[in-house]
Amino acid sequence: MAKEYSVIGKSKVKVDGLEKVLGTTKFASDYSLPDMLYGRVFRSTVPHATVKKLYLEKARALDGVEAVLDYHDIPGKNRFGIIIKDEPCLVDDKIRRYGDALAVVAAKSPEILEEALALIEVDYDEIEPIFTFERALEADAPIIHGTTNIHQVKHLECGNVDEAFKKCDIIIENVYSTHRLSHMFIEPDAGIAYYDDDGLMTVVASTQNPHYDRNEVASLLGLPYNQVRVIQAATGGAFGGKLDISVQCHCALLTYHTRKPVKMVRSRSESTMVSAKRHPMTIEAKTGATRDGMLMAMEVKICSDTGAYASYGPAVITRAMVHCTGPYSIPNVRADATFVYTNNPMSGAFRGFGVPQVAVCHEGQMNALARKIGMDPVEIRIRNAHQIGSKLTTGQILENSVGFIETLEKAREKAAEVLS
Amino acid sequence: MKKRGKGVGSMWYGIGNTGLPNPAAAFVEVLGDGTANLMFGAADIGQGSGTAMAQLAAEALGITYEKVRVTWGDTRVTPDGGATSASRQTLITGNAVLKACEQAKGTLADVAAAYLGCQPEELDFSNNMVTKDGDATVTMTYHTLMAEMKTAGKMAVGAGYYNPTTTTLDPEDMSGIPYEVYSYATTICEVEVDTETGEVDVLKVVSAHDVGQTINQSMVEGQIEGGVVMGQGFVLMEEIEVSDKDGSIKNPIFSKYIIPSNLDVPEIYPILVESEGGPGPFGAKGVGEPALIPIIPAIVAAIEDALDVRFTKLPIFPKDIVAAVKEKETDADNGVLN
Repeated sequence: MAKEYSVIGKSKVKVDGLEKVLGTTKFASDYSLPDMLYGRVFRSTVPHATVKKLYLEKARALDGVEAVLDYHDIPGKNRFGIIIKDEPCLVDDKIRRYGDALAVVAAKSPEILEEALALIEVDYDEIEPIFTFERALEADAPIIHGTTNIHQVKHLECGNVDEAFKKCDIIIENVYSTHRLSHMFIEPDAGIAYYDDDGLMTVVASTQNPHYDRNEVASLLGLPYNQVRVIQAATGGAFGGKLDISVQCHCALLTYHTRKPVKMVRSRSESTMVSAKRHPMTIEAKTGATRDGMLMAMEVKICSDTGAYASYGPAVITRAMVHCTGPYSIPNVRADATFVYTNNPMSGAFRGFGVPQVAVCHEGQMNALARKIGMDPVEIRIRNAHQIGSKLTTGQILENSVGFIETLEKAREKAAEVLS
Repeated sequence: MKKRGKGVGSMWYGIGNTGLPNPAAAFVEVLGDGTANLMFGAADIGQGSGTAMAQLAAEALGITYEKVRVTWGDTRVTPDGGATSASRQTLITGNAVLKACEQAKGTLADVAAAYLGCQPEELDFSNNMVTKDGDATVTMTYHTLMAEMKTAGKMAVGAGYYNPTTTTLDPEDMSGIPYEVYSYATTICEVEVDTETGEVDVLKVVSAHDVGQTINQSMVEGQIEGGVVMGQGFVLMEEIEVSDKDGSIKNPIFSKYIIPSNLDVPEIYPILVESEGGPGPFGAKGVGEPALIPIIPAIVAAIEDALDVRFTKLPIFPKDIVAAVKEKETDADNGVLN
């Protein structure tokens, strides 16, 4: 590029690089404070149930245990969620997944903590669990939230899809399915809560969104936003898996009641069990083109299971819909998506928000089309590629910064050089 | 038998939240010795947003990179940056940083112009110097400038926020402006498939990304390389198994949920494409999520090319390869043409 910059574009050493290399970076689990307590969550071992009785007395009576709390101990709102506030900090009405939080415990040592957790018992009234998309939609299925198991339904349409398909020389139809995945960030969720010298409720946590965390902690404790301070600790990877509340609210609640610092570090197993997963998707696609490879029409149907709580489900469904055509100009498009609640692990944000899933579909369709008409897979993409002036299915006109064709050409050129 | 194949995958990715306001803000103060404090909410999760913001501020203020000190992700000190998600921080917090720096620079330029005897808009700020455009003899150091600021009783502070231009999408047909700008990418890869064991070896990967404008070359390349490896795991190794008895995750630990290791990393050739005119800082877009996406369909296509078999279901584990090879052989024995 012709632009001359002094700093931009240069491979400057990362501002936090030296500490990471030396191993001196402080992650949330490295924090330690005087009189600090260790906290952990008592979780459900059934996926769908009401709690008949929670037996906390024995744990409370154990020497060295400073707090055993359930939902009665929450001074403010017992619901959080980035878009829809449907997840309890501690279960009040019912359990919606394996691993739902029923109680939190703070103790003077990790050993006492473990002993206390083993003393907690629970009687459940179990409800039929829903584990499949199909069952969630049946009329006699139990309802997980509110009045329907449908989390969200979206419809996108432009042009005249049915007419356009009639004029296509080639139609490609496939059903794609993608699976549930875990972020497996290297550092499991961790945090520490304490009152600072000014009496401010402070939470240091591994997170992707400290200001959102602040608002949720304040709402849980019934405090004004400026009475809560959240500090992002150095974070050991996230990939979307640390966008939801993890330990922040549980830690803060224990500190609120004990007035002491409380640290929580999830085990790998606990972290994976309750953090959001990638939405598994089933995607039906029908693509119509002319025999010289020009895309004319596309029809897409997406079904997904958002699990027990909304989390980033509404963001995933919307983004998947907008991106379902791939980076190609298709004048006639109809897409429908349905996400349902189930008692499966919560699906949420994961690097790409549904776009990796729909890319499996739109690229599968492009490659199938290229094979069918005997065209080079790069060439067919160039023919249909977004460029300046292209109109998207949403009606938006691309006005600048569209380098798609250049990525195709440059990749082809380099591949010719380095691939066998 | 070992068979090789090649595959292409492309993607686009809207930067920022879909059809929703999602602003971020930044504060800056240039200090008496020509260093600067920059504060913003955006959480750095290892991807390097803190470094990118320091580079943007240094460029905008005309000071060297080492003179910028960044503080992020502390709600008592930094303004809200929104989530580090949707590949949005370079575009959104980046523009907020530029706005904050422009405000501080406005005060600096007035003082510098008075000292140098020219107009503020004629000044170029770079490498800790302020110089009149086209006349290298009319110049002053930042050090002198800050001394002048002190004498004048002025302060170089700035606050800025940025919200990408989008519209709410129509509830009937989703028409509207979902994103202000899009990143694009194309990946071409080569794999070797062992038809007996079902193992897939990703050999070489070329991944070209339209990033608008590179902010930090090695960080962008690192993002792309990391994304490629995560994508290998997506297609070939990883799957969360859920119990259909109690809804628990059967493999929540690394010994049962296998991710790629350094031994799996192929030769990766990242290519940075820069496209003009975007709304981001110096035209930059996001790459955090785009880095992962195109390798996924590219690997699927390369396996299809190697085996001449279609795959529409992910993941593709060795058992799936072996089953597909067997099915193809059976079809061939029965005279079915693929």
